[in-house]
Amino acid sequence: MSLEANYLVESPTAPARERNWWVYLILFAVCFINFVPYLWMILTAFMDKGTSVSAVPQWIFTPTLEAFTYLVREKRVLDNLLNSTIVSVASTFFSVLIGTFCAYALARYEFPGKDDVSFWVLTNRMMPPVAVILPIFIIFQTLKLLDTRLGLILLYTALQLPFVVWMLTGYFRDIPKRFEESAMVDGDSWFGAFRKVTLPLMTPSITATAVFVLILSWNEFAFALYLTSVQSKTLPPSIMAYAVGVNVQWNILGAACLFITAPIILFVLLVQKQFISGLSQGVVR
Amino acid sequence: MVATQATGKSSTPARQGDGVAAMAPRRPGLAALLGPQNKKVFPWVLMAPTILILAGIGIFPFIYALVLASSNIILSKPYLARSFVGLYQYQALIQDPDFWHALRLTIIFTVEAVFLEFWLGLGLALLFQRQLAGKAVIRVIILLPMIITPLVVGLIWRYMFYPGAGLVTYYVGGFFSLFGVRSLPFLADPHWALQTVIFVDVWEWTPFMFLILSAGLASIPAQPYEAAEIDGASSWRIFWTITMPLLRPSILIALVIRTMDAFRTFDTIRVMTQGGPGDSTTTLNVWLTKVGFEFFDASKAAALSLMMMLMIIILSFIFIRVFRARTENAS
Repeated sequence: MSLEANYLVESPTAPARERNWWVYLILFAVCFINFVPYLWMILTAFMDKGTSVSAVPQWIFTPTLEAFTYLVREKRVLDNLLNSTIVSVASTFFSVLIGTFCAYALARYEFPGKDDVSFWVLTNRMMPPVAVILPIFIIFQTLKLLDTRLGLILLYTALQLPFVVWMLTGYFRDIPKRFEESAMVDGDSWFGAFRKVTLPLMTPSITATAVFVLILSWNEFAFALYLTSVQSKTLPPSIMAYAVGVNVQWNILGAACLFITAPIILFVLLVQKQFISGLSQGVVR
Repeated sequence: MVATQATGKSSTPARQGDGVAAMAPRRPGLAALLGPQNKKVFPWVLMAPTILILAGIGIFPFIYALVLASSNIILSKPYLARSFVGLYQYQALIQDPDFWHALRLTIIFTVEAVFLEFWLGLGLALLFQRQLAGKAVIRVIILLPMIITPLVVGLIWRYMFYPGAGLVTYYVGGFFSLFGVRSLPFLADPHWALQTVIFVDVWEWTPFMFLILSAGLASIPAQPYEAAEIDGASSWRIFWTITMPLLRPSILIALVIRTMDAFRTFDTIRVMTQGGPGDSTTTLNVWLTKVGFEFFDASKAAALSLMMMLMIIILSFIFIRVFRARTENAS
C-alpha cells in the first residue's frame, strides 16, 4: 500500500504540499466566510439608494460616489476621521510608553505585592464600560474634558494600559537579565543599558502590542458615544447615526463603514510583517 | 549651567568607563532613593505612571459605583428622597428574574462563544504551521473580522441577516426554501437570535485566538517534537503531551482576555438586536444599558455592574490559579 507507506514517512512538520489540498479547501472556506460580508458592505457603499435596498442582491450595478459625497460634504466625516486618528495614535503612544516601564518592573524585579499589582492592573479591564461611563462623565464634566480630544486620549490610555502591561510583561521575561547586567558592568547606566540592549530586543514585541492597541482604540465605541458630541467626535459614534431607525440607508451606512475600516485595515496590511513576527517573537506568557 | 558644578542635579547618563558605583555618591539624596540602585523602590518608580493613571480613571468610578449602589437614585425621578439602603440593591437584583435570565444568557453566550473560538482558532493555527503558498494574504483575510470595528461587524451582519434584502437571508433562505422551509428567522426569532449573535461573535473573535495561539505555536522549540518522532509517538499523542502543555501560557492569555471581553460584549449585540426579540439576547451588559440609560435606575445599574465585575474577577482569578498551578507542576 503506497498510500500507507507514504503516511508513515510523513512527519508533522515536513512540507507536504501535494497532500495539502484539504488544508487549502478549509482555508478557502474560512476566507470566503470572512471576506464576503465585508466585500458586500464595500459594494453597497458604491450603490445608489435604489440598488442598495433591492430585494434581490445586485452584484452588477453602475458604481456611484453618491454616498461618499453625502458623507464628506454634508456630514463632514473627514473631521471625525481626523479626531479618530489623533486620539488613537496619541493614546497608543502614551499607553505603550507608560506600560512598557510598568511591564519591565513587573518582569525584572522581585518585590512584595508584585502579583497583586499585576492582577489589580488587569482588573481595570474588567469593569463593564457602561458602568464606568457615568462616573467618568462626571469627572470629565468637572475637569472640563467633555468633548475634548485630550479627555479621550487620557481615557483610552488608561483603558489600554492593562492590555499593554500584560502583553509586554511576558515578552520582557523572555529576555535574559544577563544581557542588561553585562552592559551595566561595561559601564552603562541603567537607562543606557535599557535603551541600548533591552529596548532593541523588545522592539518587535512592542510594535506588535502597539498595533493591537491602535486597533482597539480606533474601534472604541461606547465611551466615545457618551463622552463626545461635536468637537471631538470619533468615527464609531458618528456612524451610529446612520444605523438607527427603520429605514436604514444601507449605501450610506456602507460608505460610513468603509471610512472607518479602510484606514485601519490598510495600516495592518502595511505593518503585517512586523506585527506577526513581533507577536511570535517570545512566548506569550 | 556651569560645567564645574559637580554636585548639581544631573540626569546625564554615565559615560563609558564611569561605573554605576562611582555615580552614586555624586547623586543627591532623592535620586539615590528613587534611582535604579535602590532595588526595592525603583520598580515602584517605574510603575508609578501606570498606577497613577489607572487609579485616577479606575478607582473613582469604582468608589462612585459603590456609593450609588448603596442608595436609591433613579435619575428620571429626582423628586424621590435619597436614602441609604445598604445592600438592598443587591438583594433586589438577586430576587429579580430578569437578572437570572440575563445571567443565564451571558453564561451561554460566553461559554459557547469562547469554546468555539478557542477550538476553531487552535485548529486554524495548527493548519497554518504547514508550509502553504500565499500565507501572508490568507493571514490578513483570516484576521479581517478582528480588525473591523465591532460596531461595523454588528452592522454588517444585521445587513446580511436583514429580512428580505440580506445576503444570507436571500441565498441561504432560498436554498432552504427548495426543501419547503419557508424562511430562516435568524435575528427575528427568539430561539435563533442568541445562536445568531454567538455566531457573529465567533466570526469576529476566532481570528484573535488564531493570532495568539499561532504566536504561541511559533515559539515552541523543535526538540521535543524531534524526540517524540524518534519515539514513534502518534500525532494525536504529540498534540496532547507536547503541544498543549507548551502552549499553556498562550492559551491562558487568550482565554482570559476573550472570556473577559465576551462576558462584556456590547457593541455587536446592541447594533444587531438591541437585546431582542423580546429579551432573548438581553445579556447582562445589554440589560445593564437598559437599566442605566433607559430606566435611569442609576443605583440598580451600579449594583449590577459591581456584581458583573465581581463575577469576572472571580472567573479570571480561577483561570490564572488553575493555569499557574499546572504550569508550575509541569516545570
